[in-house]
This record gives sequence, structure tokens and C-alpha cells, in this order.
Amino acid sequence: MLYGLIVFLPLIGAILAGLFGRWLGDRGSHIVTCGLVTASALLSVPAFWFVAIQGNTQIVELFPWIISGELEASWALRVDQLTAVMLVVVTSVSAVVHWYSIGYMHDDPHQPRFFAYLSLFTFAMLALVTADNFIQMFFGWEGVGLCSYLLIGFWYHKPSANAAAIKAFIVNRVGDFGFALGICAVFFVFQSVEFDAVFEAVPRFVDTEIEFLGTHLDTLTVITILLFIGAMGKSAQIGLHTWLPDAMEGPTPVSALIHAATMVTAGVFMVARLSPMFEYAEFTLMLVTIVGALTAIMAATIGLVQNDIKRVIAYSTCSQLGYMFFACGVSAYQAGVFHLFTHAFFKALLFLGAGSVIHAFSGEQDMRRMGGVWRMIPMTYALMWIGSLALGGIPLFAGFYSKDIVLEAAWGAHSGVGQLAFVLGIMAAGLTAFYSWRLLFMTFHGHSRASHEVLHHVHESPPVMIVPLLFLAAGAVFAGMLFAPLFVGDNHGFWGDSIFVLASHTALEEAHHAPLWVKLLPLVVAVTGIGTAYWMYIARPELPARLAEQHRELYRFFLNKWYWDELYDILFVRSARAIGTFFWKKGDEATIDGYGPNGVASRVLDIARRAARLQTGYVYHYAFVMLIGVVAFVTWYLFIVGM
Amino acid sequence: MLIQFIVFYVFAAVVVGSAFMVIAARNPVHSVLFLILSFFNAAGLFVLAGAEFLAMTLVIVYVGAVAVLFLFVVMMLDINFVRLRQGFMQYLPLGAMLGAILLVELLLVVGAFVVSPEVDTLAAPMPPVEQQSNTHALGQLLYTRYMYLFQASGMILLVAMIGAIVLTFRVRTGVRRQSIRAQVARTRADAVELKKVVSGAGISGSL
Amino acid sequence: MIEFPDISPAITELWLAIAAMALLLIGVVRGDRATRMVVWLSVGVLAVAIWLVWSDADTSVVTFSGLFVADRFAAFAKVLVLLGSALALVLSLEFLERERLERPEFPVLVVLATLGMMIMIAANDLLSLYVGLELQSLSLYVLAAFNRDSEKSTESGLKYFVLGALASGILLYGATLVYGFTGSTSFTGIAGALAAQEERSIGVLFGLAFVTAGLAFKVAAVPFHMWTPDVYEGAPTPVTAFFSLAPKVAALALFMRVMLGPFGGIADDWVGIIGLLAATSMVLGAFAAIGQTNIKRLMAYSSIGHVGYALMGLAAHSPGGVRGTLVYLTIYLAMNLGAWGVILSMRRTDGKLVENVEDLAGMARTRPFLAAAMAIFMFSLAGVPPLAGFFGKFYVFFAAVDAGLYLLAVIGVLATVVGSYYYLRIVKVMYFDEPAPAFLQPAGATIAVIAVTAIFTLLFFLFPAPFVAEAHLASLALFP
Repeated sequence: MLYGLIVFLPLIGAILAGLFGRWLGDRGSHIVTCGLVTASALLSVPAFWFVAIQGNTQIVELFPWIISGELEASWALRVDQLTAVMLVVVTSVSAVVHWYSIGYMHDDPHQPRFFAYLSLFTFAMLALVTADNFIQMFFGWEGVGLCSYLLIGFWYHKPSANAAAIKAFIVNRVGDFGFALGICAVFFVFQSVEFDAVFEAVPRFVDTEIEFLGTHLDTLTVITILLFIGAMGKSAQIGLHTWLPDAMEGPTPVSALIHAATMVTAGVFMVARLSPMFEYAEFTLMLVTIVGALTAIMAATIGLVQNDIKRVIAYSTCSQLGYMFFACGVSAYQAGVFHLFTHAFFKALLFLGAGSVIHAFSGEQDMRRMGGVWRMIPMTYALMWIGSLALGGIPLFAGFYSKDIVLEAAWGAHSGVGQLAFVLGIMAAGLTAFYSWRLLFMTFHGHSRASHEVLHHVHESPPVMIVPLLFLAAGAVFAGMLFAPLFVGDNHGFWGDSIFVLASHTALEEAHHAPLWVKLLPLVVAVTGIGTAYWMYIARPELPARLAEQHRELYRFFLNKWYWDELYDILFVRSARAIGTFFWKKGDEATIDGYGPNGVASRVLDIARRAARLQTGYVYHYAFVMLIGVVAFVTWYLFIVGM
Repeated sequence: MLIQFIVFYVFAAVVVGSAFMVIAARNPVHSVLFLILSFFNAAGLFVLAGAEFLAMTLVIVYVGAVAVLFLFVVMMLDINFVRLRQGFMQYLPLGAMLGAILLVELLLVVGAFVVSPEVDTLAAPMPPVEQQSNTHALGQLLYTRYMYLFQASGMILLVAMIGAIVLTFRVRTGVRRQSIRAQVARTRADAVELKKVVSGAGISGSL
Repeated sequence: MIEFPDISPAITELWLAIAAMALLLIGVVRGDRATRMVVWLSVGVLAVAIWLVWSDADTSVVTFSGLFVADRFAAFAKVLVLLGSALALVLSLEFLERERLERPEFPVLVVLATLGMMIMIAANDLLSLYVGLELQSLSLYVLAAFNRDSEKSTESGLKYFVLGALASGILLYGATLVYGFTGSTSFTGIAGALAAQEERSIGVLFGLAFVTAGLAFKVAAVPFHMWTPDVYEGAPTPVTAFFSLAPKVAALALFMRVMLGPFGGIADDWVGIIGLLAATSMVLGAFAAIGQTNIKRLMAYSSIGHVGYALMGLAAHSPGGVRGTLVYLTIYLAMNLGAWGVILSMRRTDGKLVENVEDLAGMARTRPFLAAAMAIFMFSLAGVPPLAGFFGKFYVFFAAVDAGLYLLAVIGVLATVVGSYYYLRIVKVMYFDEPAPAFLQPAGATIAVIAVTAIFTLLFFLFPAPFVAEAHLASLALFP
């Protein structure tokens, strides 16, 4: 009942605001959606207590959903420690974002729709994290994808927003296709899509092979790689990350909720949830580690040179997701989920803070046209500092605990890929600190580069936006401190059976015994990064330009985001377009339409015209036709039947 | 018997021949006259078959009423039959072909014609003239066995009557009608007025 | 000597005949002022007739020395016909009053035509078949020309009459051949004679060809349909509505009884012909309607197409097929009635009746209720599930496939696809075109008929069972 309420209250809100928004009005929609989501968030606290602290995991069967042959999927809520953590993250960040949006969207004419989408997203995300089988998970997975699409394209009159929405949807399709194939493979191999049944059967399939097109492939490796492709799409990992920066076209609260705190972490959650499968697939784990590490460093380098405030944070998100993945890749799922947990708070804080900045600058997002306003918007400034400190991994702040344990686990894996991840992670940590403070300095310090008109209007955001930020700030400060011992401490009891790690995978255990230099290194590079940023943007503001001039190629390489979009444009978009055009012009229009619909249509019209022309209006013509009919009948009888 | 055969074939030949002339004659009046001729001969055939009631009905109804009506219509309406026939040649080939096909097929049927042996028992046989007159026999059947059809036919005639009235009858204004009531109710006082005529003054002045 | 026949099974026919004459008397005595009263009285008469039929539906009697049959099949068809006639009368009243055609003969002729249809449906003999047919046809000829001051109306009446006479001639010729080769005019007798013949008589087939042609004219199946568009367009609109309802049902019921009764034993011989009629009707109905701009003409082609579908059930020559056709006719009656109700409401505010498809433009905005109802009828006529029309088609297609007539079913489906074009075009015109001037508010009775039929069409899928069960019982009467 409790869990059912948590999951379905947002859905009720979405339905009310979506269908009856016109009657409820803006205010009514706010009250309904925010109220229900907040209730859900409040309920998730006792849920967390029962499940995570007291260890009362349970599976709540709601109703059977799909029964077709051997495929049986029921709608059930699987509530264990992992779910409880996610419930808290999703509902609390969602509630905060809902409140914040009241202020942020107050000028928008379509608020009921916006809030309906937000609540619907929350429901889908909750359905995903409470899934007890692959099908329900896929439902939530697609649901959040859909809401993401709707929300990125919320300002549908902006062509760039539409393009971004479509891009997000299509890139996610690639991942989802992998996920769907993975689910099919799971069902094919295990004859079930229930998590428990599958997990229980996994050990029996170690070192088995499935035959596909004549090649023999390791069963679990194939399945987990397919599933991981899904995770890569949703969590914007290298190769499938291109949609995330563009998704910043959506309203900022959306970026905070979906593209920082919750949806993009679904991939990490999925890997953690399916840890009993991934654990037995060594190769996939290596792949996860490498992909995560590469994403972390790649996104960090791009983040160095971006000028759009939200894009910087978006690449930072991408990079942090990389951390979470390589943590999972070295079997430190707990560390990965812990980073997910803390990241949700401080990244949502950063996004919403950035939203507050944008709000203050009357919609300006380019940092080159900001600066020098820290006295005018002190609250926002302070909150951005807290967020940045957490992100940079400064001690006592949340990011410090989670990022350190992730890096230590990578070191502690004592494997080649682990070392690679550690090295790249450390580098990325430095870069992260650098671009975070670059953002702070460019936005708030120095001479203002904004126009007078804009500067004149710079103002602190209303309380309805600031108060939620305070909540997130509290999370960004304390979440690490409070929960580190619980989530990733020496006491392993917390996660119960929800995360499975083979006894031979000891990265997390080793992490606790890491040498001091390993523990200190992230902090050192972070401080170095901050110092560099100060030097380049406060002390010597002309330096960045000169540096860019000197390392022109590298600068352009980063600025153009490693040319991923261009590469995809050449590889997929243009070739697909060429093939499409060929099929369209030659195949469809000339062949199928020509002979098919258009041909048929014009034939139909021809025949229709002829049929109408038969109707001359002369009685003797009609009589003549009748006689022809009679003769035809008679002939039919005599010569076809009679003979 | 021989006489009967000869008479039958004469009548039959004239019926077919005059029927052909009905459509072949250029003058419509001639067509109608040929139609009447064929009716007469058909009536003759009926008499030959012992159905004198039908024969008389044919003469009275078709010759006496229908054909004469046709004659009136043909004579009173100035229909240009030549113009009506102009398109005829255009359809002749197809029509002829259809006709030919139908003819061949009909011949096939005629070739296969076998009078059903049960015909006598199934239909009501006609009693000999000596026992019962033709009219009497028909009446007996019509009012008993075929009463249903007889009544239904009555309804058809009713519809025909209603139809004729609905489609043609209209109340004309400004038409002087005979009013029998007015005529009957007329008294001498209404009709005659006496005037004194002065002799020698002429008529014009006194009226 | 023959005893006086049992007239009780024909109580409906007697009632209609007597009532028609009484109504005629009222009309003659009271003059044109009585039209309204006579119309409503006629509706009442027909309603009583429905009750008479229904109260004695569960019989199977032959009377009048084998000329007349009363069974479940007849009862089902009679109820449909009576309903169609009564509701068509209800729809016609407003038209008569507005077009100055108020003459009491109109409802009387409708009642008499209905009487003819009753006789047709109850026919158990070639003679009663013919007499019924003529009674019905003659009334219809007069009705078609009823607006005698309109050239179009008289032309349509004349055309119908001339071609109808030709068709009657063809039918009669066929009947004589059948009589000649079987020695009987009674359906039972013909069936018996055919069963007794070891070798199939070519003459009977010849006669059957002519009979089929004559009946095909009455149901307006291709190639005997040529009169339909002209007559439908020319006749006064309520008459056209009437034409497309009751006479269709009666003629199809008669068609089924003739083909499955006396000639049921040689079904293998005529299935092809009926299939051909069905196929050509469906295809022509679908194609020829596309180019039409006049909605009455369009409905004429539509009715031709629908006859094709109904004949498909006959071609299946099985109880399932007959059941399909009966269900089809029931649904066809409802949706067509409604559609005609809407067409009769296409009256501009200046009182002029318009009848082009374009005149419906934007009706969704000017008369949303009518437009919604019309959309329902059009979707249903096109056979879009879950509307009633879909079920009608479903049952006949099902029967056809069951009987192995795959080609016919495929042609039917394709014709449905083509046909939906022009139905949907009407919906498109109503909903997406710039509004034409608004229509007058239709009379209450018209609205009631439209509403009831629309609800029936819309919600048929909830309660098809009683209709199908009744049709099933009726169909069994033809398969002893």
C-alpha cells in the first residue's frame, strides 16, 4: 500500500493535470502535482526506513500484466535496498524540481501540461526502479524516454528544441534496441523475465554458449552487452552521449530532474540491479569499465571549453556518469550507486542554480555574456559554490565521499582496466574542478559582459525557487557524510541481497585499504584544477584566449565536442539520408507509389470516371445493358453450368 | 383434325408476321394496325385451344381498349419516328449479335423441351365445354384457389387508379364546369326574365 | 370444391389492405389538409402491422392453396420492411409540407407498396411472387413521379416504369419457362420436380436465368442497376430514402426465398451467377460512387454496393449466409435511414433543399449533432469497426469464406477499401472544409429518427446477440 502510493500518486497527479488542466488552471495544477509528488517523497522516507534500515525487503504483487505462453509478467513492486535508495532520490529531487518549476515556469502559458509531464516522468521513473521483471523495467525505461522527449521538446515552437527532442529520442532508440534485444535474449535463455527466476538461474549458465549465425558466443556476455548498450543510451555514455548536451534545450528544471538526477542514472541503476548477471560476465565488466572511464575523461575535456552554462553542466553530468559506470565495472556497484545518490543532489543543485542564474540574466545562457554579478544574487552564488564544491570533491561535501570511493575502488580492482579507469578518473577529477570554477568565475566574477539592459534586471530568484535549492544544498553538503558509512562503509550489510558481488571481486574491500596517496590524489588534482581556473580566469583573464590560440587544434577539437556529431553526421545521418532518398525517390515514389497507392488511386479514378460515363441517362441504353446481362446469364447457365 | 392444323398454322403465321410488321412498319399507325391484327389472330388461337373466354377478353380489352388507345396516342402526338430511329443502326450490330446468341440458346432449349408428364395432374385441368363453360371454370378457380391473387390484383388496380389520379388530376382554376346541382336547382325565376318590348323601337334600345 | 382458406396467417396483409383503403377514404374526404394526419395514421398502421407480425412470428404455415407462406424468415423480413416503411414515412413528413407535396395519397401509396412487399416476402408461388412484385413496383413508380411538376421526378418515374416493365417481362418469361419445365408454379412443387428430375433440365436453368435477371433488377444489382442512380436522383428525396430501405429488404428476402426454396437443390448451378452479381455490384458501387457530387446519386451507388455485400450472403447458400444477409439488412436499414435523415435535413435557411456533397461543407461547425451522426453513418457504411456496419460485413464475409468463396470475399474486402474513400470524403467535407451556409433546424421527428439510428449504429457492438440469434432462427426456416 505504502509503496503503491509512492509509485502511483505522481501518476494520479499527471492524469489530473494532463486531462483536467484546463479546468484546474495553473494554480490548481501546481497544487495537485506538487502536492502529490511531495506526498510521495514524504512517504518514501518511511519506506527507506523500513526497507533499507530495517531490512524488510518485499515484492508487492499488484496484478498480472502479460501472460502469453511461457511469458508471464506481472505488475509488481520490488522493494529492496537499491529500490529504496532510488525511491528517495527520485521522489525528493522530483518534488524539489516541481516546487522550483512553479517559480521558473511562472510566465509559461502551458503550465498544466508541463507539470503533467513532470509527474508522468516521475511515475515512469518510479515504475522503472520498482520493476520486478524486465518487461516492467522496459515499460518504465520507455516511459521516461517518452517523457524526456516531451519535455525536451516542451517549447515545441523552437526548432532547436524539436531537433534536440528528436535527437534524444532517436539516439535512445539505439540503446533501447539493445535493451529490447537483451530482454528477448534473457527470455530465450532463461524462459522467464522475472528477476528472481533469472538471477537464480544465472550461475548455471556460466560458460555456456549460444549460437548465433554460426558463431558461438558466451551466453551471459552477449546478454549483458546487449543490456549494457541500453544503459549506454539512457545514461549517455561515450558513443551514445550526443543527445544529452542537446537536451539542454528543454526547460532547466527538466534538465535538473531528468538529465542530471534521475533518468540518465537509469543505466547505472540497471547495471546495479542486474549485478547478479554482470558479475558472471567478466568481459562485459571490462567493457563497462573502459566505456565509463573514457566517457569520464572525454566529457570532462569537452566541458573545459564550452560556453553555454547548461552545456558545461551537461558534460559534467556525462563525465560523472562515466565515474558511476566504471565503479560498476570494477564490481563496486555500491560505490557507483552512492555516487549516483550524491550526484543527484549536487547536480540538481547546480542545474537549478544555473537556472536561477539564467533567470537572473533574463534567459541568457552564454557565460561569455555574464560575469560580475555575485553581489547581486548572493543566494544563488552561494548555492552554486556549494554545488561546485560537492562536484569538485572537496572534503566534507558529498562529492568528496562518493568520488573518492569510486576512484579508490578503481585502484583497488588491481586490474589493467581498473588502473586505466583510475588514471583517467584522476585526470577527469582535475578537469572537473577546473571547469566548475571556470563556470563560477565566468558567471559571477570579473567584469560583467552583459548588456546594461540585462544587468539592470538582474535579480535574485523568488523564494519558491530558492527554498528548494536550499534543500538540495543540504543534500549536497550532508548526503556524503551521513550515508558514506552506510552505503560504502566496512559494514556490508546495508545492501542485503539487492546487489550481488562475487567473492573474488574485492575492489570495494581493497578500496578501504588504499594507500594514503590514492586517497589524497583526487583532492590534490581538484585543488590544482581550482587554482588553475583562478589563475586563468581571475588573475590572468587574457590567458585562455592565448592558450586557445596556441593549441588551436586541440581547442577546436574540444570545442567541437570531439567531432562526434560531425562523425555521426557523415556515418549515419548522411548515408541514411542518401539511402533514404534513394528509397524515397526511386523505391517509394517511382516504384511503390507509382504502381501502388498513386497508381491504384489514379486507376480508381479512371475506373470511376468510366463507370460514371456508363450512365448516359437514356432508357434504351439501360434496357440494352439489362438485355446484355440477361444474355450473359443465360449463356453462363447453358455453357458453363449446363455443359 | 387437319382443318385444325391448317387453321392453327395460318393463325400462328399471321401472328408472327404481323408482330414483325409492328416493329418493321415505318408508319406508326400501320404498326398499331398490325398489332390489332396480331391480337385478333391470337384470339383465334385461343378459340382453337377451347379458351373462348380468353379469346373474347383479348378482343375486348386489347383490341377494343388498349390498341385503340394506342392509335389515339400515336395519332394525337406528333412523334417523329424517323428521328427516333436514327440511332438504331448504331446499335444494330451489337443488338443483332445479342439476338443471335439468344436465339441459338433458345433453340437449344426448344430442342430439349419435354412436356412434363405431370402437367395434367399439377395444374387444374380445364373441364370439357359440355360440362362447364369456360367462364364458369375460370371464375371457380379465381374465386377459390386463386382468391389471394385475385384480391392482390385488385389492390394493383387500386394502385393504378390512385397513381393515374395522383399524377394527372389537377384542379384547374378558371375552368367552367357543369354543376348538376345548380342546373337542377334552377327555377324558372332565375332563368327567364320577361321584358316588355316596345314595338317599332328596335331591340337595341330596350335591352 | 376447395374449402375457404385459412386467412389468419395473412392477417398482416389483410390489415394493411383494409387500412390502406380506409386511409385513402380519409384522404379523399378530408382533402390535402389531412396529409399530416394520414401520414401519422399510416405510421400507426405500420406499427400495428409490426405487432401483428411479431405476435405470430413463431409459425410455419402455408395457406391460400400453397400461394402464401408464413414462417420465421418471413416474419423477420416483414418486420424490417415495416420498420423501414414507417420510419421513411416519419422522415418524409417535413419534406412533404415544405415542398408543397401534401397529398394524402403519398402515405397511402407507401402503405400499398409495403403491402406489395409483404406479399413478396410471403410468396410461395411464382404467381404470388409476381403479383406482390407488381403491386410494390407500381406503387413505387407512382411515388418516384410523385412530384409531378418536377421534370426530374417525372423522368425518373417514367424511366423506372419502363425499365421495371422490361424487368417484369423478363421475370415473367423466366417464370413461364420454369413452369413449362417443372409443371408447377408453386415453390414446393418446383423444388419437388427438380428433385425428381434425374438429369438437370436445361430449360429450367434458362428460366432461372431470366428469373434471376428480373429479381436482380428489383434489388438493383449490376448489370441491372442502371436505373438506380437516375431514379434515386430524380425522385423526391423521401421517396429515394424509402426506395433504398424497404423495397431493398423485401426484394432481397424474396431473392433469397426463390433461390434457396424452389432452386435450393440446384444451388451449385446458380452460386456462380449470384457471386458474379455480388462481385460486380460491390466493385461498381465502390468505383462509380467516387466521382459523384450529388449525394443522392452517391447513395444510389452506395446502395448498389451494399446489395452486393448482401448478395454475398446468398451466394454462400448456407444458413450462415442467410443469417449474415439478414443481419446485414438490419444494420443497413438503420444506418441508411439515419443517413437519409441527415440528407433530408440539408435544407438551407431559405427553405431550399440542397443535395450536393459540397453543401455539407463545415457542417461540423454549423450543425455539430447532425455532422457527428452523419460521420457515424458514413464510418459505419464504410465498415469501420466497431460500428454496426462492420458487423454486417463481418457476418457475410464470414459466411462467404465458410462456403469457400474466397475470391468473392477478397473482392468484397477490396471494394470496401475503395468504397471507404467516398464515405470518408463526406466526413472530410463536413469536418475540414470551410463552412457553407448553415442548415435549418430539422423537425423533431427527423432528429428522433437520426438519433435512434445513430445510437443503434454506434452501440450495436454491445448487443449484437439478440439480432444475430433472431436472424439465425429466421435463416433456419429456409433450410428445412
